[in-house]
Amino acid sequence: MQEKTEIRKSMLSSIIPGLASLAKRGLAGWLVIIGIILIGAIIAITAASPWIRPHNPAEINVGQPLTAPNQQFPFGTNDLGQDVFSRALSGGGIMLQVSILSVVICLLIGVPLGLFSSYAGGIIDRIFCLIMDSIYAFPGLVLAIAIAAMLGRGVTNMAISIAVVYVPSYFRVVRSQVLSIKEMPYVEAANAIGAKTRTVLSRYILPNVVPSIVVIATVNFADAILTAAGLTFIGLGVPVEIPDWGWDLTNGRRLLTCGAWWVITFPGIMIILLALGFTLMGEGLSELLNPRLEQ
Amino acid sequence: MTLRSYVLSRILLTIPMIFILLTMVFVVIRILPGDPVLLHFEKQENPAAIEEMRQRLGLDKPLWVQYFDYVGGLFRGDLGKSMQDYSSVTQQILSAFPATLELAIFSMTIAVAIGVFLGVEASKRYNKPADHSIRIFGIVTYAIPVFFLGMVLQMSLGLGLHLLPVGLRFNPTLTPPTGLNIAIPKFPTLGLGLHVLPLGVRPNPPFARPAGPGLDIERISFSSGLYTIDSLLECNIHKFVETLRYLVLPSLTLGLVLSGVFIRLTRSNMFETMRLDFVTAARARGLRENKVTYGYALRNAFLPVLTMMGLQFAALLGGAILTETTFSWPGLGRYIVDRISFRDYTAIQGAVVMLGIFVSIVSLAVDLLYAYLDPRIRL
Amino acid sequence: MPNQLNHTAKVKKLRNAKAIGKMAIIGIVIIILVIAGIVGYYLTMPTGPALKDTLVMGTTDSVESCLDPARAYDYFGWEIIQSLSTGLVDYRPGATGSADDIVPALATSWSVSADGKVWTFNLRQNVKYEDGTEFNATHVKYTFDREMGIADEDGPFVGIGYSDIIQNVTAVDKYTVKFYLKIPFAAFLSLMACQASYIVDPAHAPMTSVVEYTAGNPRASHPMGLGPYTLKNWTRVAGKDSEIRLEANPNYWNASAGYPKTKNIIIRFYADSTGLALAITAQEVDIAFRQLGAADINNMKNNANLHVWEGTGAFIQYLVLQEKYAPFNVTTVRQAVGAAINRTTLVQTVFLGQAQKLYSMIPIGMFGHTDAFLGLGDPNYTRTRELLAPLGYNESNKLTFKLWYETSGHYPQSAQQAQVLKSSLEASGVISVSLDGLDWPAYRTARKNEEMEAYILGWYPDYIDPDDYIYPFVQSSGGSWLHDNYNSSTMDDLVAWARGNTTTSVRSDLYSQISNLMTNDAPLIPMYQGSAYAVTTPKVKGIYLDITQSWRHWLVYAEQ
Repeated sequence: MQEKTEIRKSMLSSIIPGLASLAKRGLAGWLVIIGIILIGAIIAITAASPWIRPHNPAEINVGQPLTAPNQQFPFGTNDLGQDVFSRALSGGGIMLQVSILSVVICLLIGVPLGLFSSYAGGIIDRIFCLIMDSIYAFPGLVLAIAIAAMLGRGVTNMAISIAVVYVPSYFRVVRSQVLSIKEMPYVEAANAIGAKTRTVLSRYILPNVVPSIVVIATVNFADAILTAAGLTFIGLGVPVEIPDWGWDLTNGRRLLTCGAWWVITFPGIMIILLALGFTLMGEGLSELLNPRLEQ
Repeated sequence: MTLRSYVLSRILLTIPMIFILLTMVFVVIRILPGDPVLLHFEKQENPAAIEEMRQRLGLDKPLWVQYFDYVGGLFRGDLGKSMQDYSSVTQQILSAFPATLELAIFSMTIAVAIGVFLGVEASKRYNKPADHSIRIFGIVTYAIPVFFLGMVLQMSLGLGLHLLPVGLRFNPTLTPPTGLNIAIPKFPTLGLGLHVLPLGVRPNPPFARPAGPGLDIERISFSSGLYTIDSLLECNIHKFVETLRYLVLPSLTLGLVLSGVFIRLTRSNMFETMRLDFVTAARARGLRENKVTYGYALRNAFLPVLTMMGLQFAALLGGAILTETTFSWPGLGRYIVDRISFRDYTAIQGAVVMLGIFVSIVSLAVDLLYAYLDPRIRL
Repeated sequence: MPNQLNHTAKVKKLRNAKAIGKMAIIGIVIIILVIAGIVGYYLTMPTGPALKDTLVMGTTDSVESCLDPARAYDYFGWEIIQSLSTGLVDYRPGATGSADDIVPALATSWSVSADGKVWTFNLRQNVKYEDGTEFNATHVKYTFDREMGIADEDGPFVGIGYSDIIQNVTAVDKYTVKFYLKIPFAAFLSLMACQASYIVDPAHAPMTSVVEYTAGNPRASHPMGLGPYTLKNWTRVAGKDSEIRLEANPNYWNASAGYPKTKNIIIRFYADSTGLALAITAQEVDIAFRQLGAADINNMKNNANLHVWEGTGAFIQYLVLQEKYAPFNVTTVRQAVGAAINRTTLVQTVFLGQAQKLYSMIPIGMFGHTDAFLGLGDPNYTRTRELLAPLGYNESNKLTFKLWYETSGHYPQSAQQAQVLKSSLEASGVISVSLDGLDWPAYRTARKNEEMEAYILGWYPDYIDPDDYIYPFVQSSGGSWLHDNYNSSTMDDLVAWARGNTTTSVRSDLYSQISNLMTNDAPLIPMYQGSAYAVTTPKVKGIYLDITQSWRHWLVYAEQ
């Protein structure tokens, strides 16, 4: 519990005052700002969608099927006559839930595992490394498909399958950081004084690991979104009543050949924007937190 | 440690890795809802027939027996029989593998070529507009869903401009290249089934020998499964060009999506390397800028790129699944998706094992290459 | 000092010269390669005329298991079997499913005994297998003995229940064969016309084993030989077909009439309907058949470079209601749901008019079809509310259930159908539907475990007769695979009479009664009947899309 508070504190302490000075940090700063704006905007739109959308996104035949974007339907309608604009506003829910949930699971499992394993060392470390390497070496999408197919449909299950694929990345990053910090003199000193393992971990090692975790988390978000879209493409998404960009992408694909470009394009753009937001943030943060290039 | 012990330890570690993978998948797919036995009976459900089918598929035995049977088969190189059409899984995978390999090689080549080139150019123009646009390009391409990009390319370059084919691996009206297939005359025959052979050499039985003098013929055939190589072996330039035509769109799709990582990596590495002393020295000696960049600095910055190629390989295979479906490319990715939707346990296990071995070999090779090139590792 | 400068200058010149020399050599090599490449390209280009007598067809199907009639039970397997062999009888192109549509194939005439249990076929003479053997009655006997003996669980012989129908097959003399049946079976000729009954070549069909795919050896991959084509090449990659090549069979018994019209057929396989649609639009194939999406077909109708062929379908889709537990264990609830389905919206919205509303399990165009379910309403929401009111269902207490659909493409556009169904059911005001989907294996298992309250299923006929649309659905044992727990002895009797009677008018009347009983009991609700579509380039002719759903490769040709 205390470790988690520490994590939160160090994250906040390194980011919030940083926000103000971000603009001064050149392109990297701007990347982070744009990323945050994109993500924030999409979250806001999705949250507000029940009130701002003109039509019920699941209602069929609100307009003639497959009408091109016009005044009444700014993004056109799809093959069932549903309003693409309303679906574009509301469809982010699943993606956001899946990616946030998978990142949370990864943080809760991958980070402690990495810390514990690398600090413990010895044979425990080797075993965990072996298991993590096996999962890591394997094409993520395949594993995600297999797990999602096994667990069944739904947001939680998609999140779990993505998380399983990503835990090794967190594990590796945390472990490599810990290994390098472990040998530092101040850690040795702390041990010499007789500090408990937990204290050493949370006070000294964890704050140094946080920047890398943040970067990996943003990459995780972006990838989770794209993997969720991929899973839906294969047919392992959520029940079709719930508006979802991934479903629109899959469905819209077969309509592209008859000229109905709008069905796939707008949800596609939304997915790209969301993934982009996280990637930009990650790109910017990684440069900010690793100031080598400042020279 | 020496190179030899490093290699040995890596190889030894690969084996338990594959086993962990295999066990994971073995368990996971058997918990999948959906019984492969039932899929053989669209309509009638005679319990006796269902039971016989279960036995035929080997699913009536307890789980641990199935597991050990499977592992035993692995050691003999037998990956089992597909639960759908009872044909050899090894054969199915071997037929699908070259297609994915070819796609992977070309995609990786495109990704690295675009990535490194753009990365270098970006590093030369730090913080200028060109640098920013290249970085943004790299980020954006990574954020595009692979099948979306594939569709866009299909519609524009394929359908719209009629330049390139929109699907499949080869022209439907031609026979795909089969590689080397030459007849070598071996030993002269002296009629009546007698032939001259060197001492100790036995004749090949299956040949029908014509009566009378003639020549014993032996066929040497070699087919790599990679159409580019096979068409060159056949000396058929037309088929070679056709192969490339069909390769362009899928590998461009996958390559573009992956290039972003290489852009980023090359850019940051080149930036550091260009400021090192030996580069300044080379410039001082009067070498042209291009030679300095590409000849000297890049060589040193390339090592991390190599490692990244190895790491990205797994991602490549994952992306190949969606690309193969979009372009009807008959590879391993499509195979896995099809087999999962049929709950074909043996086929899925076999594919996982093959993929795992493949990825391990690639990452092992990359690590070895790295260790060979960078003496610091071995110490 | 000057010497050193000179030396440096000389070294520089030499280096430059070397550099230029190197560049020159590389340049020359490149030019040579390019020229060789261009020359080689034109040399190795295939010569023109070879392609004229060839048609390329694209499809998303694939042979599911093998090309042996003993086991093959999938649509595409049967399509290829139909090109590689022939049956005793066949349906003429353009058939509507009546008995008049049966024409001679390997049998030139036939008769049936008065009790309907003995069928005699007189065989065509001078029909040769590829090794010169003449086709005769022993080959017919061999075929059926073999396939009923193997009784492969995957195969149609077990699935359709040949052993329940046929007692034995006797070769009376060289050109006469008799089938002794266990029960009088009115649809026997239809059964003989279906691809499961096609004749094999004993020289290539081992008595006790099924002939499976052998890579690189097309002859060893199938046991037949009397059809319009031979299998020139069959390549499977990763468990799916990648190419099939058919070549005209010189020994074909109907070759004198000019069949097959096209000497070579190449079939290529696409991963999904979008890929196929792109291919035919780009004219990379001459023919596209199965499966193209409704929107694509509509689009292609407006394309002057493509010709869209439309014909009767025999594929139907229906809603199954699980009678084992509430709410569908009550007949009036089932009727109420049946009355709330809006087939017009379904057919228009999901299939853009490329399907027909279906009010009977027997398809339109087949004798015995009546619009029985129209009596329930299409939709009739008043009826729905009236039926549900006595049970306590109204606007504030809605009938709630979950409707299941299939997600992996086993049926066309299941998810869209489910959404439209939900919308039309809820428009009644007293029904509330939630949706969920499973991929085919999970769906199939859930069906067996009777876990779904209401689910969508589809049906392709095995043989062209109303019996194949009734017996497997509402007869107690024949319909057990549906797992809807519907059992009615009245229905069983009606079905048995209809099966056994050989007079078409009597059967027609019986099927009408059956359909009416079905409407009252409402175990299943028929929804629509899909039409069949093929898209070709304008020069392709000879396509018949009739109720047999057969694709007759030998009739198709391209006019010059």
